[in-house]
Parts: sequence; C-alpha cells; structure tokens
Amino acid sequence: MNFGYLIIISKNDEVDYLKLAYALALSIKNTQREGYDKVALITDDVQSVKKIKSPWVFDRVIKWDKEKHWDGRSFMDELSPWDQTICLDADMLFFRDYSHWVDYFIENTELYVTPKSYTYRGEVVTDDYYRKAFTHNELPNLYSFYTFFKKDSVLAKEFFELGRYIIKNPTEFKNLFLKGYKPKIIGTDEAFALAAKILDIHDEIAFDLEFPKVVHLKPMIQNWPWPASTVSDHVGFYFDLNAKLKIGNFQQHDIVHYNEKTFVTDETVSILEEIAWKK
Amino acid sequence: MNKGVLIFAHNSRQVDYALMAIVAGGLAKKNLQVPVSLVTDESTLEWMKISKTISKAKTVFDKIIEVKKPVTSNQRLLVDAYTSKMVPFVNLNRSSAWDITPYERTLLIDSDYLVQSTNLSEYWDADSDFMIAPSMNDIRGDRIGVLDKHVSETGIPLCWATTVMFTKNKKTKLVFNLVEYIKDNYANYADLFRFNPNIYRNDIAFSIALHMLDGFEHSDYNYLPPVLTASGKDVIYEVMDNKIKLLINDDMSEDNVVATTISKRDIHVMNKQSIVRHAKEFMSLI
Repeated sequence: MNFGYLIIISKNDEVDYLKLAYALALSIKNTQREGYDKVALITDDVQSVKKIKSPWVFDRVIKWDKEKHWDGRSFMDELSPWDQTICLDADMLFFRDYSHWVDYFIENTELYVTPKSYTYRGEVVTDDYYRKAFTHNELPNLYSFYTFFKKDSVLAKEFFELGRYIIKNPTEFKNLFLKGYKPKIIGTDEAFALAAKILDIHDEIAFDLEFPKVVHLKPMIQNWPWPASTVSDHVGFYFDLNAKLKIGNFQQHDIVHYNEKTFVTDETVSILEEIAWKK
Repeated sequence: MNKGVLIFAHNSRQVDYALMAIVAGGLAKKNLQVPVSLVTDESTLEWMKISKTISKAKTVFDKIIEVKKPVTSNQRLLVDAYTSKMVPFVNLNRSSAWDITPYERTLLIDSDYLVQSTNLSEYWDADSDFMIAPSMNDIRGDRIGVLDKHVSETGIPLCWATTVMFTKNKKTKLVFNLVEYIKDNYANYADLFRFNPNIYRNDIAFSIALHMLDGFEHSDYNYLPPVLTASGKDVIYEVMDNKIKLLINDDMSEDNVVATTISKRDIHVMNKQSIVRHAKEFMSLI
C-alpha cells in the first residue's frame, strides 16, 4: 500500500502555513497507525522546511510554485507522490486513529469528497451562512478539506481537470451555472461542487457516510443564537499536554479544522513535538 | 426484576405538590400497571392529613417514603397563565432516588407529568441501565428556545429529568452520585458550563453528569421519548372522558389562545396550579 496524506501550502505574509502544516503532520504521526501516517508536503519554500525542528514528519517534501493559496489544491492529483491520497487543509489537527476510514476508502472508492461537516458539539452543520452559492444553485455540498483519491483513477483525473478549468475560468462558470447566487470567489469547494454537478457524479464521490468527521470551526455555523466573528470569542480552546483538545465543554475526538490560524502557537507545536519524539 | 414508578413531592405554601403527585401517581399506576411510590416529608404528610388526601394517597401509592425535607433557598418562577410569582422550590433530593427507590427498575417522574398512555411500558425491558428524556416537545410546537435545548447557548444538550428510568446497579449509582456532586458544587459547574446558577435544576445536573460520563462528547444514548410539554402559560380548562382540554397560549400575545385536547398521550403540565384546580376531575380518572 502506498497511501499518504497530502498538504499543499504556499508562502503567505499573514499566516505561517508551514507551522500549521507542521502541527498537522505531527498530529498525524502521533495518532495514526504505521503505514497510515505518511505525509507529503507541497510547498514553494523548501528551505523553510529544513529549519523546523523535526522535518522528518514530512515523508516527502516537494517543491512546487506554479499556483498560490487554494488554487494549488486543485492540482492535488498531479502533485501527490502517493497512489492513494487524502488531501487535507493545513489548518487541521488529528486526535485519534482514523486509519479504518482510509481502509474503507481504498477498498470502496476511487474518489471521495466529504459532503458533511460538524460543529464542535458534534452536530451536523446545516447552516448555509458560508454556502449560499451551494444552496441557491443546488450544488452538492462538498468540502475539499478532506479529499480521497486514487492516482490511477480516470474518474478522479476527469474531476480534478474540470475543477482546475473552473478555477481558471470563474466568470464563465458563474454566469453559466451559478445564476441563483454568484459567489465572489470560486474556491476549491465551489469548483469541486460544480465539477461534480456537471459530471453528474456527486452520488458516486460524496455518498452519505458516518465518516470522515471533520469539525468545521467557522463561527457562524455553530448553531449559536447570535452572530459570531470567531469561535474562540465564545468558547474556550483547551489543548492539554497530551495533545487532547476540548472546545467549550466538548472533548474533540474527530479531525478539527480550526480555521483560526492563531490557534496553533509555538506551545501547541512544542507539545506535539514532544509526543512525537517520545513515540 | 421488580419495577415501579417513583415520584417526589415536597409541598410549599403556594403549591400542593402532594396533590399533584396523587394525580400523577394514580395516572401512572392506571396506565402503566405498575406500583407507584411517593417520596415526601413530614410537613407534606401533615398537610395530606389535614386536606384529607391521605386516604386517596394510600390507595394510589404502594409505599409512602418519608424523608427529611431538604433545606433550600431555591426559588422558581411559578407561572399560572397570565400571572407569575417567585416561589420556594424543593427539588434538591432527586439525586437520592437511587438510594430511596424500593424498585430494582424505577421510572422516576415529576409530579406534574401526567401519564395517559402505555408508551413508557415499552422501556421497562430496554437494554439500557439508564435512560432519560433527551428533549422536550412543546405542545404548540413553536415555543422552544435555545435554553430549552441546551444548558447554555454554547453548551451541552439539555436532557429533561421529567422522566428518568434506571436499574439499580453500580453503573447507575455512579450517575446519581455525580448528579449529587454537581448539585453540591453547582456554582462551579455553572462557571464551567455557562448556565445561570441562581436556580438549581435537576435537568441541568443530569445533563452534565451524562455528558461527563460519556467522555465529554455527545453520544447516542438510549433515550426515553421526548417530553411533550404544556408551558406555564397554558391552562387546563376541562378534564373528562380521559381527555385533557387546554388553552394554549401564544407567547406573543395574552389574548391569542388556541384550544386543544390531549388524549392517550403523556404530558408534562408545567402550570402546576392548573393541575391542582382540576385535581377532583383527575381523581375521577384514577
């Protein structure tokens, strides 16, 4: 089996994405079984990777600088060094072993884009505050933050190629397919959803499963009775020395997509490093 | 395994909980066909003798268990249709149900929970040691607020201790011990779980205990049915032929009421005075 996770980052003046990717890779090493813990990093700044304390958490570091920010993620199929890949956003953390999810995907699918996300309380997100374009245009509700694909899949190739084409030609696709509500930006999620709809494959690539469970910490979708600009304004994040996270009164066991980039501090990284070194 | 219903009733000067317990106990006994026991205190028993309800109580209850009345400054808003007032509220000893119950399998209900169906009988043999109502359903359907569903706006789901079923064993002892601990440290837990500590609520204490025992996450517990609830603003205006007729209030306007009839469905009537006013009619159903 040649399975691995893929994280795609690029240099950014405001956010240290390498730090976030490093924390994610450490959490993967700390929690996943051997064989399910490989991580490849795609970055435009390989030199910086050499400066981190434990660069070995990245099994592969690949230099690539053709696209910036989220546009790069649509090239995940071309960039991945693995035969079976799960591409993740950098601002995520793992808290337990999810290898059995990987086994399921390898056995049953060529391509899977998760159609659900969860609040920190474990409720399925139903609020469309950030997804008006999806509901108004009846797009499949896809989240690219956890995308499984096989390198040799024709279906995946066709899907990602169309996704890239949509990202490169946003106006045309907005005018043609998003008449109900035009988003300002066609991001990876919108592009993937449009591609799935045009190819009519969303039942194949985003069928209903109880996993993967990813807690999506965007503030306006937490089922709160008030508007919120950040989650941490309203509930505490408690990251302990065993790298366990409690948000408010809820212990987090699933993947957490924290969104607030300041959540990962040097102290967070240091806790994760210590566990990785002792493993 | 012997089974039965347990009801707590401690009278205050304003509310005759004992009378409500006789109504609730009688209905539970009739519809669930199991013995019912009452947990009460000396002064409430005295009042039952004075008000001559003791004889009815003796026919309804399998056992009348006398305990010391908990000393409390707990107060609640007693809503009776358009009027309301703060009244003392003695609810601090619910966590002792595990020790007090004479049954191996107990259904613990509030004294304002009127059992009019056999639905809860389905749960006696359920493969779960502890079950509680996970939520409440408003009789009108549109008066459920955030704090009816959660302990706090950002907090854990609120279970309703109006109905609790448990088997007496080590596992459930842990639940009741934890509820007791939360009650004793209520202000601390109010800080942690962000709820108003001014009124002690068993619903909150049970919700926190279950959340903690589930590992601080929401799990698919085995639950009793949600509690169908008529709010304090709703009033019973007639009880006859095994039917309860109510005037359901609109939160927006006092003048806007809807008449409805509840039959063969269990209901939590939060307007306690309304039950007391119709006690004689309820007694005729028992």
